[in-house]
Amino acid sequence: MSHSNYLIIGSSHAALSALEAIRIQDTEGSITLVTQEDTLPYSPTILPYVISGQIDPEQIFLRDAEALDRHRVTFKKGARVVAVDPANHSVSMDSGETLKYEKMLLATGAEPTLPPIPGVKDASCHVLRTLGDAVRLQSIAQKAKSAIILGAGLIGMHAAENLAKAGVQIAIVEALPRVLPGYFDEQAAGLVQQVFTEHGIKILTGSTVTHVTASNGTCTVSLESGGELSGDLLLVATGVRARMDYLAGSGIDIGEGIVVDDTMRTSSRDIWAAGDVAEARSFFGGKKRVNANLPNAVEQGRIAGMDMVGDSALKPFTGGIARNAYHFFGHRAFSVGLVGRAESAGGIEVDQVFLPSSVQYQKMVFEDDRLVAVSGVNTMLDPGIMYELVRQRVDLSEVKARFAAGPLQMGRILMSKIWG
Amino acid sequence: MARTIVCDGNEAAAWGVALSRPDMVAVYPITPQSSLAEYISQFVADGIIQADLMDVEGEHSVLSVLQGACLAGARTFTATCGQGLAFMFEPYFRTPPLRLPIVMSIVTRDGITPQCVWGGQQDAMTVREAGWVHMYCENNQEILDTVIMAYRIAEHRDVMLPVNVNHDGNYLSYGVEKVEIPDQEEVDAFLGEKNTNWHAALDPDRPMGVDPLTGGAGGLGPALFVRYRKGLCKGMQNALGVITEVHKEWEKTSGRSYAPLIEEYRLEDADYAIMTIGSMTGAGKDAVDAAREAGERIGLVKIKTFRPFPLQALREALRKVKAVGVVDRSVSFGWNFGPVYQELLSAMYFLNRHIPAVSFIGGLAGADITVDHFNRVIETTAMALHGEVFSEPVWLNENDQSPGSDRVSQ
Amino acid sequence: MGKSYPTIAFYPDRCDGCNQCVEACAEFHSGTRNPAHSRIKVSQDGEEGAFFLALCRQCGEPRCVPSCPAGALKKDIDTGVVSLDESKCVSCQLCTLACPYGGITYNPITHQVMKCDFCDGDPVCVKACPRGALELKTGSDIYNGWGDLEDLFVPGISACQGCNSELLIRHTLRRIGPNTVVATPPGCIPGVGAVGFNGVTATKTPIFHPLLTNTAAMLAGIRRYYNRIGRDVTMLAFAGDGGTADVGFQSLSGAAERGEQMIYICVDNEGYMNTGVQRSSTTPYGAWTSTTPVGTVLRGKSRDAKPMALLMVMHNCEYVATACMTFMEDYYAKLEKAVEAAKRGMAYIHVFSPCPTGWRFPPSKLIEVGRKAVETNMVPLWEYEAEARCIDFTHPVEDPLPVKAYLSLIGKYNHLDEEQVAHIQRKTDERIETLKKFTREGDVKPIQDAA
Ligand SMILES: Cc1cc2nc3c(=O)[nH]c(=O)nc-3n(C[C@H](O)[C@H](O)[C@H](O)COP(=O)(O)OP(=O)(O)OC[C@H]3O[C@@H](n4cnc5c(N)ncnc54)[C@H](O)[C@@H]3O)c2cc1C
Repeated sequence: MSHSNYLIIGSSHAALSALEAIRIQDTEGSITLVTQEDTLPYSPTILPYVISGQIDPEQIFLRDAEALDRHRVTFKKGARVVAVDPANHSVSMDSGETLKYEKMLLATGAEPTLPPIPGVKDASCHVLRTLGDAVRLQSIAQKAKSAIILGAGLIGMHAAENLAKAGVQIAIVEALPRVLPGYFDEQAAGLVQQVFTEHGIKILTGSTVTHVTASNGTCTVSLESGGELSGDLLLVATGVRARMDYLAGSGIDIGEGIVVDDTMRTSSRDIWAAGDVAEARSFFGGKKRVNANLPNAVEQGRIAGMDMVGDSALKPFTGGIARNAYHFFGHRAFSVGLVGRAESAGGIEVDQVFLPSSVQYQKMVFEDDRLVAVSGVNTMLDPGIMYELVRQRVDLSEVKARFAAGPLQMGRILMSKIWG
Repeated sequence: MARTIVCDGNEAAAWGVALSRPDMVAVYPITPQSSLAEYISQFVADGIIQADLMDVEGEHSVLSVLQGACLAGARTFTATCGQGLAFMFEPYFRTPPLRLPIVMSIVTRDGITPQCVWGGQQDAMTVREAGWVHMYCENNQEILDTVIMAYRIAEHRDVMLPVNVNHDGNYLSYGVEKVEIPDQEEVDAFLGEKNTNWHAALDPDRPMGVDPLTGGAGGLGPALFVRYRKGLCKGMQNALGVITEVHKEWEKTSGRSYAPLIEEYRLEDADYAIMTIGSMTGAGKDAVDAAREAGERIGLVKIKTFRPFPLQALREALRKVKAVGVVDRSVSFGWNFGPVYQELLSAMYFLNRHIPAVSFIGGLAGADITVDHFNRVIETTAMALHGEVFSEPVWLNENDQSPGSDRVSQ
Repeated sequence: MGKSYPTIAFYPDRCDGCNQCVEACAEFHSGTRNPAHSRIKVSQDGEEGAFFLALCRQCGEPRCVPSCPAGALKKDIDTGVVSLDESKCVSCQLCTLACPYGGITYNPITHQVMKCDFCDGDPVCVKACPRGALELKTGSDIYNGWGDLEDLFVPGISACQGCNSELLIRHTLRRIGPNTVVATPPGCIPGVGAVGFNGVTATKTPIFHPLLTNTAAMLAGIRRYYNRIGRDVTMLAFAGDGGTADVGFQSLSGAAERGEQMIYICVDNEGYMNTGVQRSSTTPYGAWTSTTPVGTVLRGKSRDAKPMALLMVMHNCEYVATACMTFMEDYYAKLEKAVEAAKRGMAYIHVFSPCPTGWRFPPSKLIEVGRKAVETNMVPLWEYEAEARCIDFTHPVEDPLPVKAYLSLIGKYNHLDEEQVAHIQRKTDERIETLKKFTREGDVKPIQDAA
């Protein structure tokens, strides 16, 4: 029976960040990295670029075998965890094998969910989460003329752009009134939508799908508004949920995800969770929730790893902040902390620049002289510096006017003075 | 061929040093040692001594540079006295437990205060507990010879201790006598291979920590510390035999014989005896001779080696005498007797004898101890032999007065 | 020892915002001088006029690298450069969100991210700067070189937390190597077990306790004998301020005057820390110690510290320097020179050694205390080379912080009143003035009579 000092389930961002953090402190301890995928570690975020053919599927791996060797990691691919037994410090694999551990990290990420729309299950629709999904979509895209995408979140939008680049005619259906509702407000989303439309992508926001039918390789989507859309391919990207089915019966606390504290410990001793699978404290309001994005997975993975190895430099999680960077058709957008803020509450000030003709937008939200949210389309800000200003709750009262007038310069100056 | 010169005791010491081929000599002036430092420096200047001449800034550093050199493997020499020795106190006490075979002349001098620059043995006597071998010379030839012998003794594997070769300031340091200078080859053969740091070295080829913190109330500490202390005692004890052996060998080489530990003079049938140390002995022997002629059954014991204390030798020498008078050139304050006297009393416990003993203190701060003074010593000791009790020392120069001037010369 | 890499250091007070670095960078990477292509960015604070730099730090544990979903970013173990493989990059820009320094940025012309690649090891920005505001710090090369050398000091010594001695000893011994005899008189360094305890030692070179009073003399004796038998063995002292400036001063002075060949390092923690924090002649004015206590009558030490390093300049030394472990590369460079100088005579390095235990500050603040000491000019970093007969500041502080910025970090100065602080400020300013007189620009040459 295999036994490791550190067992890491998953081989993506959260898993690899934890691995690095452990190896900094403990160069000797045995580490086993387990993934249900049949390949070397890769990131789901890269998959849309596989569909468009921009990136060769052989080139996407985050670590090669040699690097894993150098870190003295036992890498088990094609191995799925089906059950966890915290009392015995062991997990069961789909192969029937049992793995023992001293400390374990669950970094199993998220999986797509299908919406409860009649017909979806039978429509042989596609999702995009794994390399297998991407490769399949890539080959279909070579033949397909048109595609319908349900959901205008990051996955749907990335997929849309890349399928379009592969020559497929795209229509996106989104139930909410704007695209990328998880990250951008109306103006920013409007600019994104405008660019997509200019590139021939049809976007139907505020549209609810009543049912889906499929026949002869064609999918038809009926809308509540009465219209209908058909395509050679249906991609469902309406949402993801934490992948934690294997925890049934383990007694570990779960909610939307695996519930963790500020050092990513689960309710069970010697088990940590991080990334898309974890439900951790939010920066704003403190409520625990899943914050399924890549920067969050990296940060939580690092914290988990440091705590597992007892690194004294560990600083606990300051709370999840919605943040993302988004590149679309040569434009750039980013957002930090915009979602879930009541912009009309007391003490809130908003500073906006909106130049639709040149596809530019910038919005900064201050609360009690502190930056709480920023987003921009085609602005020259340093997203990482903006994120730190928010996270560190930097008091801007002395410099607010100058900050508003030149957030790029002032951001860099504050960075130099405070943490640079 | 050996050659004969006429020189003072300081120069004689310097010749002894030259013949012993030291690697390093360190000098710092102090009366009445200064001319010894000068001779040594001149010998280096003239190539007679081929050593590093360390003209350092004080006696403390004098002994410190020698300790360093010795730990690296050097054979070393220096000389001092009086206040210089007092200033050297700190490294001085450390030399024996480091087991460094350094040879140093003490050109004995009295202690201040009153301010004085003249002979007396207060300096050397005061440091007698430090763990150095102490040998006192009687004349200039003995100084030269003893310096050479000192290296054999100090570097002997069973000893490994520093040696002081002491001679009386003023009387021997400046007194001129005929001295025979042995051949270099003879001395080379006698001294053999130099041997200074086989046990403790500061040498990258044999890296070790020298003198880590040792002791404390726990762990290995207490036992280890005792082991070092007992080792030093053992070295001292071994020195008694080694000194005797080395003196015998030197006699074979040079033809000159000296009593290694104590000298017994006309003791065979003596009823009572006097004890001396250093250059006063000549006058003492003259007085004994005169008393013998007058029919007194008197003898003399001269201390040459005061450390290690020659207990067994004294047991032999004093086996039959019934009273003893001890002449000291320094004071043991608190006891208020002379230190040699005081130690004799201790020794008598081991001799299992209790005989009358009188303490004489003389020759302080350059004062002379004449045959007349010794006559008094003999007469007084005879009174003790006949039952008179002396509970205080006799201060020999207490009532001395001469028409000489009180001019100070340093 | 870990690895360290060269870095580009920025001295804002030398920058005048000319933008030559920016243009040179743009030109090197794009062929045009358009600043949009530059990886180095200079910002000016309009109000204060000061300049700031945004540039990739080539972090040891970069945040951008794990945030790249394409595996396009890598930390190169050999060069230390965080490299971007443009053929893999999909421009997702998650790296720009991860970097807290503005070190990787979006180029709106190429629509790709870009970052400093160190120009193959010879950054053009550094060369372009006409005012020396950018410096390629290659001290880390020395560090790396030293890191490959043998560690001659055992782990697990018993120093107080936050003591800089271990850092000092370990690094120094690595550089100087095993062909050395080390002397360390009673004090903190043997106290932490450097010479050893009860029959075991902590050092792989020969090492010993001299007396508190005779370190330089004993080393002189050893070295002279090795010279005599034709062996070149280095003599090294780690002595406290008591064993150097107080009771050991005579033997040090004598050895310096005689030009004895050794590296004498004074580990100045400004008092007798090992015996329980008593004052020494290098204890600064105003400092609390257990023998310069603070009460209703006394307010800490009433005298200024002995200017030990300056005294050694007047002592026929071949080399004299001050150092502080916060400025490691500065120390490396000085030790390099000391090693050379000690072949000719005495090399003296006075190491400012803040003591968390005795000075009352948290161990975690050691490096910060060192930094502030230098930045306030309380501890100017300089060196003196006999041949040049002048003092060079190795870390000039043109616009020093007020001494209070340093004093307020340290418990032993807690009680100081305004007057005392003013005194310290005045003396600090005067000390710098005095030192400046001995620089190349100054008009005084130290007396140098060494052969
Ligand atoms: C198409 C797409 C585009 C995206 N774009 C962005 C974007 O632009 N910005 C952004 O911030 N985020 C984006 N994301 C989300 C981002 O990829 C995730 O937030 C991130 O990958 C989460 O990392 P993770 O390590 O928590 O989990 P995942 O990346 O989901 O990795 C989970 C790992 O666990 C393994 N695993 C799961 N279950 C088991 C099991 N039972 N046994 C063994 N192994 C198991 C999997 O094989 C995988 O290796 C995108 C995601 C997708 C799918």
